[in-house]
Amino acid sequence: MSKITRRGFLQASSTLASLTTAGVAAAESHPPSWRGDTRVEQIATNCEMCFWRCGVMAEVADGKVLKLQGNPHHPLTKGQLCARGNAGTQLLYDPDRLKYPMIRTGKRGEGKFQRASWNEALDLFASRLKDLKQKYGAESVGFFPHGVAAGFFGTLMKAYGTPNAAEPAFAQCRGPRDVGYQLTFGRAVNSPEPIDLEEAKAIVLIGSHIGENVFTSQVTNFIAGLQGGAKLIVVDPRFSTAASKADWWLPIKPGTDLALLLAWMNVLISENLYDNEYISQYATGMKELEEHVKQFPPEWAEPITEISAAQIRDTAHAMAEAKPAVAIHPGRHVTWYGDDTQRARAMAILTALLGAYGRKGGMFLPTKVKQGRIPLPSFPESERGRADGAGSKYPLATEESQGLTQGLVQATLTANPYPIKGWVVYGQSVLESIPQRQNTLKAIEQLEFMAVVDVLPVEQVNYADIVLPEATYLERYDPPHIVTTAKRPYVAVRQPAIEPLYESKPGWWIAKQMASRLGLSDYFPWKDPDDHLSRLIQPLGINLAELKSLGAVAFDGHPYIDDRTEADGPVFPTQSGKIELFSSVLKDLKFDPLPQFTAVEPPPQGYLRLIYGRAPMHSFSRSENNSWLNDLMPENQVWVHTQIAAKFGVQDGQRIILENQDGAKSLPIAVRATEAIRSDCAYMVHGFGAQGQGLTKAYKKGASDTQLITRVAIDPIMGATGMRVNFVRVLSADGERS
Amino acid sequence: MPRFAMVIDQERCVGCQSCTVACKSEWDVPNGFARTRVRQTGVVGSFPKLTTSFYVSQCNHCDRPTCVPACPTGATYQDKTGIVRVNRDLCIGCGACVAACPYGARYVNAKIGKVDKCDFCASRLENGLQPACVATCPAHAKVFGNLEDSSSEAFQLVYRQGAHRVETTQVAIGPNVYYAGKPEHTELLMAGFAPQLPRTIAPGKIWSSLLNKFVFLAVGATFLGQAVAFFRQLSVGEKQFED
Repeated sequence: MSKITRRGFLQASSTLASLTTAGVAAAESHPPSWRGDTRVEQIATNCEMCFWRCGVMAEVADGKVLKLQGNPHHPLTKGQLCARGNAGTQLLYDPDRLKYPMIRTGKRGEGKFQRASWNEALDLFASRLKDLKQKYGAESVGFFPHGVAAGFFGTLMKAYGTPNAAEPAFAQCRGPRDVGYQLTFGRAVNSPEPIDLEEAKAIVLIGSHIGENVFTSQVTNFIAGLQGGAKLIVVDPRFSTAASKADWWLPIKPGTDLALLLAWMNVLISENLYDNEYISQYATGMKELEEHVKQFPPEWAEPITEISAAQIRDTAHAMAEAKPAVAIHPGRHVTWYGDDTQRARAMAILTALLGAYGRKGGMFLPTKVKQGRIPLPSFPESERGRADGAGSKYPLATEESQGLTQGLVQATLTANPYPIKGWVVYGQSVLESIPQRQNTLKAIEQLEFMAVVDVLPVEQVNYADIVLPEATYLERYDPPHIVTTAKRPYVAVRQPAIEPLYESKPGWWIAKQMASRLGLSDYFPWKDPDDHLSRLIQPLGINLAELKSLGAVAFDGHPYIDDRTEADGPVFPTQSGKIELFSSVLKDLKFDPLPQFTAVEPPPQGYLRLIYGRAPMHSFSRSENNSWLNDLMPENQVWVHTQIAAKFGVQDGQRIILENQDGAKSLPIAVRATEAIRSDCAYMVHGFGAQGQGLTKAYKKGASDTQLITRVAIDPIMGATGMRVNFVRVLSADGERS
Repeated sequence: MPRFAMVIDQERCVGCQSCTVACKSEWDVPNGFARTRVRQTGVVGSFPKLTTSFYVSQCNHCDRPTCVPACPTGATYQDKTGIVRVNRDLCIGCGACVAACPYGARYVNAKIGKVDKCDFCASRLENGLQPACVATCPAHAKVFGNLEDSSSEAFQLVYRQGAHRVETTQVAIGPNVYYAGKPEHTELLMAGFAPQLPRTIAPGKIWSSLLNKFVFLAVGATFLGQAVAFFRQLSVGEKQFED
């Protein structure tokens, strides 16, 4: 029970006076009695229940966070918080949190540890890193970060001398999209996506399930766009919440989106419905594109996509009518089939044909912000280069990309191109976010050293030699969040609402402590968070106290082509300075310079393609142990079409086990037998079926899609792992085939 | 005097549960219960011609509430603005009002042994804030306002745009939570969530629930509360609202 209630209750029951005036005065003693109490401090910060980082006001009294609310001053999220954001206190006060540093005593994976002091743990950590560097070179340590606080540790690992950092954000999420848009427009999409949903006259979602996938401002703008009359086209094998609001729901056969995109282009070009003026002014390669898409009329796409040619035409016409205000959402988690960069290219080209890039209602342009720099010594260069294949085997996974997690796993398994002997995992759940967990587990077994920095005892903690408890986002300072992909760019601050609980420590402190033990303190030439923050915001001409009190400050933006000034730089920073419909970069690298459709492997007889997505109350595998969110959705279900359920002989709500094509089995999961999905696929929400026994609420609740993703299709252009290439069949709950 | 109402726009709602959790956080609602919640209606039709929607439920602050007369202690009352409230000092947690509510909007909060439900965040209103669920909603699907004020968005939605009440010919007690949406959304709401005829609770159960540690306090409160409710009723009178 929280302090609020106790206090409220004490007040409520304290006097008989309230009884005698019952009905008036007693009503005042309802909890929350602190509402309106001026002693309650409002601390502005930003959320980390997901990566959208909505503005939060933490209401704090006596060192306790009473409630989180949206920060109305935040320029992007304007006071809104989603279910997860509202439940942030339940991460902060989760009794399962990692509470103190630990050193492994049992076998790797056994989960036996002894409690250690920070000094002991950090001394040991530093000495193990020094040993590895001496024995195998600094490159032998792989770094797996996630989240903003990991940035400090990222600096440390670079200074230590390893180029091997990899985040799932690239190869398991949005990498193909960013590379595809970069190739076409000269600029990655980035986050938050600069998609002008609120001004759109047509919105196209390809697999994006806004509503179930909730980023507050994106939902706000999506709904504002629909209320403003935008037509909505949803391409999804499943009847998503977004599909339920659509003018056209196109229940596409999974894996055939590229065929649909090519057919749409065919209609726009063959019927001369594209934005000729825009294309002739800003694009190159139109002739080649026109020639290319001639082969793909809607009649060609109909049997492939199982969307009728008439519907393909109708939707193309709806887009043409709305142009240039057509918001084609570039998607976020787009690592599906291994041809994902090409699909992203097709989406970018379609956007260009509609004249929608840099135009109102389409995609808007980022506005630069003059960020301060803290000069650092140069980082050591590795002669051996990266071990994950980024930039070499996968040429367009560039140095600026966030690396290839599965590439690091492979390098660890094979010692090719050189041995990886140590892992430092910071805020990333390697066993949940990297597919083919059989490989990840094997790689971990081969390690000489593994350290995990996290907030919760996720499964990987069991395998670590050293476990360090990180403070939650509500207890720490993080680097300022500088956002250029908003209509008005802004800088937002994350600052502690309260002191770290237990013995947890903020990321900046851990990195600085390690730096001093490794003789790398020159890379952290700032005294404390205030010093760090003020130096980074110095050129912005804003006052530190004001920023801390408001939480975020916005600047003027130049979101559309017509607003651009010289200082904004080129509109299309490609080699040619134009939109590259035909990609000479891809051609030089011997990839298709124009997107081609390639058929994906169909499900074997008796199997369904496994697809997965999100629920609005959970973030990946990170929120299932949150008491309030767990209460709302303790486990996931597997959606299968009513007729398929009947064929497998299972009832709605029955618990079953799924088995994939390689014999990998899921934990028991309830069936949702529904008309709201095609009959060739099965859908589940990602992130359930936790294997860390320390997660008392989430442990073994629901099923994990990751456990069923034993195969991947690697994108040859940039190394992303396409994960929708796995097939499942239904076994009854006792493991027998039904 | 304002007359408060909530309008839920089903075309806007995405079912994200932000409101549910914001409310839980504001009011310290125990797990397993809610003062407001979101449920998906059925998915009707067959693939690929389908319809679905969300039902956001909470106390309806009815014009003619069945919970108020059901309360043996006078703890449940309707204030001057139409908000139906629970005076926790008088509530004995007997659950008679829970059974009497046709919308399932009430629950007994086991942590405090009292009945709890939405009060339109009265303490936030007093501090010039919107109800927690309204303030947090990313889709702006909940509109709170005063139906006496013709310039309010709520008034517009109810009297100009046809937002409707969820009630039946059997249960028509004047709920002040309205729903705006397409006709098919309305059908889905009525099919899944039409109000149920109130149940009554045996008086014996109410009296047995008095035999707890608050017995003296509660018995005293009952008489006081009923007296107060009686005099309030005399002074305020019953106000009937027209749709």
